[in-house]
Amino acid sequence: MLNPEEGAARSVRSRRWLALAWAVVVLGILAHQFQFWRASRLDTDVLALLPEDEQNPAVSAAGRQLADQAGRQLAMLVGADDWPAAKQAAAAARTALAGHTDLLQIQAGDAQAFDSTLAFYRPWRDRLLTPAQRDWLRQAGPEEVGGRALMQLYQPAGPKLGEWRDDPLGLWPQWWEARGQETRARPRDGQLWLRAEGRDWILLNYRSRSAGFAASGETPVTEALAQARAAAAAVVPGARLVAIGVPLYAEAAAAQASREMSTIGYGSLAAVLLLVWLTFRSLRPIALVALSLLIGCAAALSVTALLFERVHLITLVFGASLVGVAEDYGFHYFAARQGQPPEQRWRLMRALLPGLALALLTSVLAYLALGLAPFPGLRQMAVFSAVGLLAAFLTVVCWFPALDGGQLPRTVLADRLGRSLMRWPRWRPNRRGWLGLLGLACFIGLGLSQLRSQDDIRQLQSAPPQLIAAQRELGRLLGLPSPVQFYLIEGADAEQVLQRETTLKQRLDRLQAAGVLEGYRAVSDWLPAQSQQRTDAALTAAAEAIALQAVTRASGETASRADFAEPPLLPEQWLASPAAATLRAQWLGRQGDRYYSVLLLRGLDDNRVLPKLAAAAQGLGGVSWIDRTAQISSLMQRYRLMMGGLLVAGYAAVLLVLLWRFRRAAWRALLPTALGSLLTLALFGYLGEPLQLFNALALLLLLGMGVDYGIFLLEHPGDGSAWLAVALAGVSTLLSFGLLALSATPALRAFGLTMLLGEVLIWLLTPFFRPAHPAATLSRSHAP
Amino acid sequence: MLNMPWYRWLPVLLIGLSSLLVTAADLATEVTKRLDPAPVLRGDFEQRKTVGGFKQPLLSRGDFLLWRDHGVLWQTRKPFAASLVLTRKTLLARQADGSAAYRLDSRAQPALAAVNELLFALLGGDIATLAKRFRIEGELQGKEGWQLQLTPLDDGLARVFQRVRLRGDRYVRQVDLEEANGDSSQIRFEQLRQAPRPPTPR
Repeated sequence: MLNPEEGAARSVRSRRWLALAWAVVVLGILAHQFQFWRASRLDTDVLALLPEDEQNPAVSAAGRQLADQAGRQLAMLVGADDWPAAKQAAAAARTALAGHTDLLQIQAGDAQAFDSTLAFYRPWRDRLLTPAQRDWLRQAGPEEVGGRALMQLYQPAGPKLGEWRDDPLGLWPQWWEARGQETRARPRDGQLWLRAEGRDWILLNYRSRSAGFAASGETPVTEALAQARAAAAAVVPGARLVAIGVPLYAEAAAAQASREMSTIGYGSLAAVLLLVWLTFRSLRPIALVALSLLIGCAAALSVTALLFERVHLITLVFGASLVGVAEDYGFHYFAARQGQPPEQRWRLMRALLPGLALALLTSVLAYLALGLAPFPGLRQMAVFSAVGLLAAFLTVVCWFPALDGGQLPRTVLADRLGRSLMRWPRWRPNRRGWLGLLGLACFIGLGLSQLRSQDDIRQLQSAPPQLIAAQRELGRLLGLPSPVQFYLIEGADAEQVLQRETTLKQRLDRLQAAGVLEGYRAVSDWLPAQSQQRTDAALTAAAEAIALQAVTRASGETASRADFAEPPLLPEQWLASPAAATLRAQWLGRQGDRYYSVLLLRGLDDNRVLPKLAAAAQGLGGVSWIDRTAQISSLMQRYRLMMGGLLVAGYAAVLLVLLWRFRRAAWRALLPTALGSLLTLALFGYLGEPLQLFNALALLLLLGMGVDYGIFLLEHPGDGSAWLAVALAGVSTLLSFGLLALSATPALRAFGLTMLLGEVLIWLLTPFFRPAHPAATLSRSHAP
Repeated sequence: MLNMPWYRWLPVLLIGLSSLLVTAADLATEVTKRLDPAPVLRGDFEQRKTVGGFKQPLLSRGDFLLWRDHGVLWQTRKPFAASLVLTRKTLLARQADGSAAYRLDSRAQPALAAVNELLFALLGGDIATLAKRFRIEGELQGKEGWQLQLTPLDDGLARVFQRVRLRGDRYVRQVDLEEANGDSSQIRFEQLRQAPRPPTPR
């Protein structure tokens, strides 16, 4: 056996060693933080939060590619009652934006792009036909074909591209016009014009120059647009300017995150520090608790940034609520430390350690369970919170006793708070007790019966409503393709994909003629399948031979046809050309050992046509109808149910741990949490708030944190200082999650609200079920 | 997704019949004065078109009817029969058997409306409209005659026409079109006469 002195020396050595080791880790974190904030890589895209579609990864790839394509583009419609007014308004808007060339660059229609696209397609002109042309070439007689060639040659007016001999029947302009049908905007006086909803509109395309977003929460692009809008309205009263683009969403998200991080993060930090001051009336606890929180947050951020490619803004907002949870360990230490002589602090820490570690374990387990769902966003939040808690815990354990050398007298407020436990009623297994429980059970049952569920992607949307309204209006006016409902075409090689698209398009043409949809945008319109190219080339060669004969007869001169490329237009050539610019996102190419493309639909304003579109894919090999909105909803539902199961498993696991530690008293720690969670759900039922995936996640977290209160009261029965710590922890947790309920992101709000209600209820319920300890007094709690 | 760089150049696809006019205000005013503002005009035309790939100019003949502000009917008689109807809203090409070779609608193609507007402005002597699109040079010849050379101002039109030359007196007597692709047409008008107003608009 060691003699006491030797033992003491050893423990001092190990204490120093621990404190130093943690200091090294903290220095590493600080160095990483410096780098992180210099090159901040934050993610604002809502879709990045969503899980991969495990059944069909190509769908996720398609979604990502479509989202990336929109990139920095900004589309703007300026509208007025008539065309001259629209031109004036658009000119005013353009002038206003010309003052912001550092932010926005106008995308002028450049003739060069058209020329190079035209030149690219020219060698294959003979195999680019519209369905109508194909029909005409098949059924038109030699007379009609010859007549048309003569008109094309002789008449002074008519559409043409290039020389007559390049296209004796004038087929090409029609093909281009069909491509032009992919948008509603038409050239007019050098502008892109469209008439809709009683107004003439001019379409302006801009490109944002800023690469990322301002962490400061500034919104320069949004403000520049507001100026342009004001300028347009000043020149033409009643003029409208509708603008939309990823840069606007990114700015709004960044501004919102920046705002919420300050309200939630700084708000709860201020509240926690104020609480510490009121309770302990000393600067040391404030400094140390702040230190533990700072290190906790920094470590959380660093580890998240190291594990994930990019940190999502919502993670930071959620992470801001960590402040309200991670301070618990510091509170427990100082609540116990109060009124104790400084030399007792090591012993004190050892006495607190089992409870603190158990509390940490349950909380970290609960957070990590969040990460079981394959939502990249949730995984980040889980890692962020778990690491943050662990770092705060280690700071308290390794550093607090070493740094906390002075006296810490008991304060009046702390005393009062601690004593309040004595007056708190206690549940007893008598008639009144059981009746009370029965009443509670009825209240809960009635509330639960009114609970509805909702699984909707809108939970994740936090964009300002005016932005969503603008998106709708612009999409409606321009007839933009829907990015969430499309066909995914799959095949063994590129040729098969294009052939399958062609078959699908025949069905869609019929639906289009019936007015079900306005149109579609398919890669195979720009890059026909090789088999189609061969048939079409043969068709035009035959018809143009007849055309040339007719012209020879009429003019007395032997007319010759231009040469065309022998080999077909291949996908690789097309992808490398400027022609692919607008369609590239729809060509997924090779994914694994299959090839994929996306066919987009335009003019889908009515959800009732969706079943018809889904039916159009039926029976077609390799064609699937994708409704991302519906898919995401069903995914969220699946995970909500899964989380429900996980919650039950979580309760069982926590119960086992508690049984191992507290034996027959274990129920006292778990029951308040179970009751509080059920009551929260019941209240949601009464309030008409729907149950979502994010409530289920909050319940999981409530299990992890709510049980802590029970644990502390059981670990230190009748100890007023434990109650004091629980009270402080409850108030601060409540504050930070309550502030989370202010978030504009519905998911975070639902989460915050569940945590807020649950925490309050569990906190109030826990002392009811504390063990009987009539002899306990505050003064003897930590006496040796 | 929102960008269609090639598309805004569709006006290139459309060619107007003929055109004319002004920068020098005096010249413009004087030519307007000399032109007869008759609402309806008919006559014959002879067109010599030089087309890439053909050694000889392609000759065609026919007649036309201009109803100012409403439309133009352009009928080719030789070497084949066909008609072209141009109104403010549509451009319709028809073969002798009545089958439509093509039809363009200005509601779908505002560029067409611009071309038609140009044409009507020209024939109606609406110099203000024409001067927006062309740089105009020229000279007055004798008491009645005049000659103008029009160069497109905007890029879209320049991709169709290199230059347009007009010669006339009370009426436009000759139009020379030099297309951007190197083809050119020389259209001469004969037998020009004012005609009664057609019974109903098309």
